[in-house]
Amino acid sequence: MTEIAAKTPQDLKVADLTMREHRSLWGDAWRRLISSNTARIGLVIISVFILTTTLSHFFWDYNPKTDLDYSLKLKAPNLTPTAEVESIHPFGTDKLGRDIFRRVIHGGWNSLRVGLVSVGISLIAGGLLGLLAGFYESMALASSERIIVLSIAGLLLGALPAWIANQFFIALLFAILGGVAGWVENFQAHKPLRYILFALAGGLCGALPALLVSPSTALVTGILGLGIGLFLAMAVRGSIISNVIMRVMDITLAFPSYLLAIAIVAFLGPGLEKGMIAIGVVGIPQFARLVRSSVLSVAQKEYILASQSVGEGHGRIIFRHIVPNILSPVIVQTTMGLANAILSAAALGFLGLGAIPPEPEWGAMLGDSYRFLTSGAWWAVLFPGLAIMLSVLGFNLLGDGLRDALDPKMRV
Amino acid sequence: MARYILRRLITLIPTLIGVTFVIFMFQRLIPGDPAIAMLGEHASEENVARIREQLGLNRPLFLDREALRNGDFAGFFDTQYIRYLDRLVHFDLGNSIHRRIPVAETLALRFPATVELALLAMLIALSIGIPVGIISSARRNTPVDGITMVGSLIGVSMPIFWLGLMEIMLFSVFLKWLPTGARLSTGIVIEPITNLLLVDSVLTGNWAGFKDALQHIIMPAVALATIPMAIIARMTRSSMLDVLQEDYIRTAHAKGLVEQVVLLRHALKNAFLPVITIIGIQTGSLLAGAVLTETIFAWPGIGKWVYDAILGRDYPIVQGGTLLIALIFVGFNLLVDISYAYLDPRIKYD
Repeated sequence: MTEIAAKTPQDLKVADLTMREHRSLWGDAWRRLISSNTARIGLVIISVFILTTTLSHFFWDYNPKTDLDYSLKLKAPNLTPTAEVESIHPFGTDKLGRDIFRRVIHGGWNSLRVGLVSVGISLIAGGLLGLLAGFYESMALASSERIIVLSIAGLLLGALPAWIANQFFIALLFAILGGVAGWVENFQAHKPLRYILFALAGGLCGALPALLVSPSTALVTGILGLGIGLFLAMAVRGSIISNVIMRVMDITLAFPSYLLAIAIVAFLGPGLEKGMIAIGVVGIPQFARLVRSSVLSVAQKEYILASQSVGEGHGRIIFRHIVPNILSPVIVQTTMGLANAILSAAALGFLGLGAIPPEPEWGAMLGDSYRFLTSGAWWAVLFPGLAIMLSVLGFNLLGDGLRDALDPKMRV
Repeated sequence: MARYILRRLITLIPTLIGVTFVIFMFQRLIPGDPAIAMLGEHASEENVARIREQLGLNRPLFLDREALRNGDFAGFFDTQYIRYLDRLVHFDLGNSIHRRIPVAETLALRFPATVELALLAMLIALSIGIPVGIISSARRNTPVDGITMVGSLIGVSMPIFWLGLMEIMLFSVFLKWLPTGARLSTGIVIEPITNLLLVDSVLTGNWAGFKDALQHIIMPAVALATIPMAIIARMTRSSMLDVLQEDYIRTAHAKGLVEQVVLLRHALKNAFLPVITIIGIQTGSLLAGAVLTETIFAWPGIGKWVYDAILGRDYPIVQGGTLLIALIFVGFNLLVDISYAYLDPRIKYD
């Protein structure tokens, strides 16, 4: 204090400026992150796993197809050569005499890869769906967007009468009708009149072409067309996009995730890549919900209103103003999602629906060996499981730290 | 309130239709023909055709446009999906392909096993998770808090199938204290009343049976309880921390109330809402069956049953079991929403 007081006012000014170095928002968050113990431990665990698995994948050859030695079947861990087992197996060997240490290291490559790819799928698909749902729930459609949305709605809904009458162009008629409905909305026509007009037009679009097929078909498609026309005349708010997306997400969420993943794998067939897709698809609704609610919470902010009033386009508002402001919860969810994905991948592998043997994967290794537990081969179960738990814990610790670092107010 | 419940029920309708649609489509999408699954690989063409006719597999999937063209309106709707819905309305889930017994019958037998396991697991999770959460929030930033929070994070990260295996290793293989699978030892009989063995054995005063059932259920229940326990502990803690910053807590302290009274009567009451949500969702997912735990402990519940049916292409079981699971899941989410609105007067219903 006395030191500063001794300086001239001019010196003080300069000193002040140099003392306050530039600190970005993310830089601050990083500083908070590495100052917390949990995040540091998490980062260390994750780094160790990523480094060992990638390095060994590229620099330590392993061929699972040729790796078996029945003379070394189910040997307990040894750190020094013994009379019985001359080679060193720090984690013991499994039912085919394979070194478990080596398979845990190489299996990590598969497990982490599954985690990364499947979270990528959930993040991209769920994120986009959530953005759309959240944005158009809180904001009116621009007129060009309304025309496009209603055309697509017309096309999709019109597909049903088109299929029934076996005449493809009926769907196109409804797409045009939808486009017109979106365009006419600007003229604020008398409401009941508009409804009646569109219902009639829809009925005609459905019935007339179907008359070529048979009268009974025309009756059904005509009634359907009536309903579609009415719907197109009414559905002009952006919330239909959000409603459709979120209802589909609700249906997906009605099934427990494990069941859905198993079902998807049963449909696609087993294999690591199929497992990635299954886990990724199952994770989509969580991201969509999170992103939607985050978008809803920022969409009413003044800066969004401001950018709207200066006439910025919707795409620009979404990617320049909304996305940067909802990144924190998404980053946290992605980290936690990685932990979950690794866990699910291991579960699928354990059930024999993940990696195809003899490919090493932690869950599959457990599934391979757990029957030998009763005969005392604890090492074949302990180490792959520890690897799963530690890597999942690492991502959870990091996610926890990230949450505190990115938004000190946010807690779960 | 009644209007709110009604509105929630109405929004449920498209979800339920979607659920039946997905379940129906799933059966059609997975490779393999149910008729061949029933008759075996070497069945004659005629027999396959006859069974396909019997099962209605020769009908169109959703709507029969050919029938409509000929003016046959009843035929228009006489399709596989509509028939499936019709059977559902009549509670007819069909027969298992491999074992030829009604799916509903097996379901009634297997579901209690899942319910018993889920409820005991939830009981364990609650009786440990909530106290731990409260203590850790009251002793915020002390070693106690740190240890319990790291512990709960480990719990969340636990692959429960591995935990189950470790339990077997310790208690069955090395210590030989507990049996490894099934609900009862052979030779022990418990008179069925509710089919929840622990309850039945108490009701009939069968203490040997109770002990045996408890020995069988305790390991899977603990394994299953781990993740909900950890989640509940974390939720209780963070919710309590929020409430403990409120002014009325300071007032309560200033009045000179005992710490326990402040924590339990003043703080916990208000902090409990989000915890209830979590409890409801977790109970729903536990009741939906735990295929991994049930596999490891050879527990005859619905999770394992549906999983085996998916692999064995036993479509009626897959459909019936999945439908029940989805209904429970949806039902519990609804219950959570309603109880939330009921318990928190600040929430507007519409």
